[in-house]
Amino acid sequence: MKLIETALVLLIMGVMTIAGNTIGYHFPMTESIIGYMIMMAITLLGIVLAKFIPIKLPMVFWISVIAILATSPISPYAKVITDYTSKVDFLALTTPILAYAGLSIGKDLVVFKKMSWRIVLVALTVYTGTFLCATAIAEVMLRFEGII
Amino acid sequence: MSTLKNWKIHIAALIIVIICELIGTRKILIGPGVLLFLPMLYAMVLGGILSWPRLKLINLQEMHAASAILGLTTLMLVTKLGLIIGPSIVKLADSGLALSFQELGHFLGTVVLGLPLALFLGLGRESIGATFSIDREPNIAIIAEKYGMDSPEGRGVMSVYICGTLFGAIWLGLLAGYLAALKIFHPYALAMGAGVGSGSMMAAASGGIKAVFPEYANEILMYAGASNLITTIIGIYFCLFVSLPVTERLYKILSPLIGKDKAKGQASGGVAK
Repeated sequence: MKLIETALVLLIMGVMTIAGNTIGYHFPMTESIIGYMIMMAITLLGIVLAKFIPIKLPMVFWISVIAILATSPISPYAKVITDYTSKVDFLALTTPILAYAGLSIGKDLVVFKKMSWRIVLVALTVYTGTFLCATAIAEVMLRFEGII
Repeated sequence: MSTLKNWKIHIAALIIVIICELIGTRKILIGPGVLLFLPMLYAMVLGGILSWPRLKLINLQEMHAASAILGLTTLMLVTKLGLIIGPSIVKLADSGLALSFQELGHFLGTVVLGLPLALFLGLGRESIGATFSIDREPNIAIIAEKYGMDSPEGRGVMSVYICGTLFGAIWLGLLAGYLAALKIFHPYALAMGAGVGSGSMMAAASGGIKAVFPEYANEILMYAGASNLITTIIGIYFCLFVSLPVTERLYKILSPLIGKDKAKGQASGGVAK
């Protein structure tokens, strides 16, 4: 996808996020719009970095690095950025994302109908296993480290 | 521009979001826990209904577009989580040991529960592809390269991939919310567990945990985000060099004990009679 198109998609997502953020989580609209624009700028910067830096690392990595640096103690703008972006609720971002996920489901339904119930059960167990095992180990380790 | 050409899905998504946020979060008491229904879960279901092939509201090209948009929009979540991690990066480093070790649970947890069940249900080598990882896009690439997509392993990975796309987020959202409400695990541990390595599943799971423990909202997102980031970045290497060989080995050990091979042995014995 071209960068302009990427920006356009994120802008459209922004309209939904701000709508949901205002309706569902009652944040002030102007501040959350500024917050969203900051987040969008960071995301686009990360996408550009991933394209131009020759080291092969996923976009997710570069975006995370920029976002973490932006609010970490070494950033001079950390407080301003945190103030505005905290007005955009995490859940307000997830609703449009899963709406698009839902809208794309139809293409998989045809294949899904041919699948056996056994594999569905296995799939749910696979997801349960990864979540549960990691949680259990984390619980033990966090206690061991005295954090909880 | 193709983004504008797909105006129908954007309008549909906007309407879905508004309806879902108006409904808001609902809780249903079940046994000792709570089933949490978050707006994002309704959004997925409503979107799914609209894209039902028989309704012919959305064509295949638009569904593929929605899927591409999905990939892009999850990047905004990555940004949001990074911004939450930033101020507490030092605090996060304090729990580095727990964060590192719990990744073993993410990478091996899929096999530990999944493989015995798959074998018990009579799946053959499909079970290797199905259970060696959470079977998202990078994991499919590993199987495709090693076995090809026409192999049983390829069918296994694709089936779980599709199930993950259809139910992964909803399932983990409900499961995480329920487990959180049981108060067996600390919210920080649950949050780390939520970083399964898929943006939408992590979002649903941590959303569920956050709704049960609103007082820890920031910490939950911080740990979930950090854990998810680690899972995503080292996941592909771990799956390639550890998970897949381990799954292969376990398959060889377990399939004669509980798998189809055992059933086959009995069946051929029956024929011999």
